[in-house]
Amino acid sequence: MVGDTERWFPDDMPPPAANAETAGWWEACAAHRLVVQRCTACGATRHPPGPVCPRCRVTTAEWAELPGTGTVYTFTVVRQAFLPSLAQTVPYVVAAVEPDGGGGARMVSNVVGCDPEEVSVGMEVEVVWEDMGPELALPRFRPRGRLEGDR
Amino acid sequence: MGRRVVSSGGEASATASRRASIVGVGETRYAKWGGITEASEYQLAVQSVLAALDDAGLSVDDVDGLASFADDRNEATFLAADLGIPELRYATMSWLPGGGGACAAVSNAATAVETGQAEVVVVYRSLCQGQFRRFGRGPGNAAPKPRPETRPAPRPGVRRARSLLEAHVAFTMPFGMFGPPIAYAMVTKRHMHRFGTTTEQLGAVAVTTRAHAARNPRAIMGERTMTMDDYLASRMVSDPFRLFDCCLESDGACAVVVTTPERAADTRRGGVTILASAQGTLRGFGHGQYSNVSMPDDDYASAGARQVAARLWGRAGVGPGDVDVAEIYDHFTGLVLLSLEDFGFCGRGEGGPFAASGAMSWPDGSIPTNTHGGSLSEAYVHGLNHVVEGVRQLRGDSTCQVEGAQTCLVTSAAGVPTSALVLART
Repeated sequence: MVGDTERWFPDDMPPPAANAETAGWWEACAAHRLVVQRCTACGATRHPPGPVCPRCRVTTAEWAELPGTGTVYTFTVVRQAFLPSLAQTVPYVVAAVEPDGGGGARMVSNVVGCDPEEVSVGMEVEVVWEDMGPELALPRFRPRGRLEGDR
Repeated sequence: MGRRVVSSGGEASATASRRASIVGVGETRYAKWGGITEASEYQLAVQSVLAALDDAGLSVDDVDGLASFADDRNEATFLAADLGIPELRYATMSWLPGGGGACAAVSNAATAVETGQAEVVVVYRSLCQGQFRRFGRGPGNAAPKPRPETRPAPRPGVRRARSLLEAHVAFTMPFGMFGPPIAYAMVTKRHMHRFGTTTEQLGAVAVTTRAHAARNPRAIMGERTMTMDDYLASRMVSDPFRLFDCCLESDGACAVVVTTPERAADTRRGGVTILASAQGTLRGFGHGQYSNVSMPDDDYASAGARQVAARLWGRAGVGPGDVDVAEIYDHFTGLVLLSLEDFGFCGRGEGGPFAASGAMSWPDGSIPTNTHGGSLSEAYVHGLNHVVEGVRQLRGDSTCQVEGAQTCLVTSAAGVPTSALVLART
């Protein structure tokens, strides 16, 4: 349930800032729903969200719910603690994840729940939520098919 | 090349007789992050402008235009007032982000000169990272101060974005992608995955550039030699980037003076011709891989400069096989490889083997590259120092002088909307 997830990152990570185009994505996250913005006219997806479809230039869009599975497109293992509080977190993995059903849109996230050395391009992953606060949850990803609590 | 008429070379650039020239270059001393305390960043901007004018044999009274890029804190209007420019007729700042705009700022100056909007335009860049927060960390997202142990951190929520960029980096920063090294490590990793690029090939860029810096008394790392073993032993920042894959963080400023060919003929050193310039980005490339990872695969693992390169070579009437020397923006070793590919010095995916073959090395490589030591080893001034070095090469003044150099490619940052120049001996 929201507010009771496993934690991987410290509280003082820079919180996101949202505008009129992106707020809906963060609201979905708070409800643990992984979504992508989809044009209501042509069906093209886009991420990060924007005010107009770059393919057909229609301005109406919807939030399409994704199954939560995906593939690692590329990644890096961050070994320098850019925040003091990350000293206990490094090394951590930042990845570009291509979510299944996302129409090619990719999202920056993390691969957690495994040794960073295990991560590879093409690895199959699934979403796992981290509640950073009552109003903020972030989608991280873990290797697909791991049992709950299996690190 | 199948170019459309509206975007083809002849129409877009000035006729040969009208092409603007660079007639002066000026630099302050360069120092590591925080190394300059005797002058403010703004004072350094002033010093570099005066030095560039002195190099040209011109004075502030000749100046009627200023150009910069990348959200320059040192605003042209204040600079014009403080310098006592008699009449500012032209002031512009390129929208291209970060280091993408250095060549665009020169291009904008040339456009002003070639269309008669101004006669003498100074392009300047001052960057004192020790006096301000680190560049490229994103708006409002500087590392927060550590909180006292007794006070619990507030539970974060979603804030209201104050800019489009802030809303965009919200999709990267909360996930620990704190800055360019992490973003472009991921780009380089994808390139390695697709094309087999190796760590040692990245290292070849760092080691070659350092060897060039060793001859340059202005270079911050000029006295620090680097072997491949030194490179491999440097600490890992964000895989595959080690410390020596990343550019310096430094203090310093530089400037160049752009004017008409008629004025150029009367200046102290004569002019170096701005043969062609181009700027822009690919469809869907967005702000670059720093805030967007959804572009097509071929574009993601690239400099994003393919179309800029095609326009540039078309306008210049020369190609990668014709230029004698290249000054390639080097915020990260991996992106130098991608720029070499996009600008056609080697094939797609061949940047690594190309660099490892010694192609970038002065004096014997096929295209001596970053002959001043670049951002990796001379100084990080958002690549305007690469323009300065291009001018030095064509004047015969470089500390790694390519013998008889007639043309030089200068590029701005890969991985963001970008710009480039071809400079030629007049």
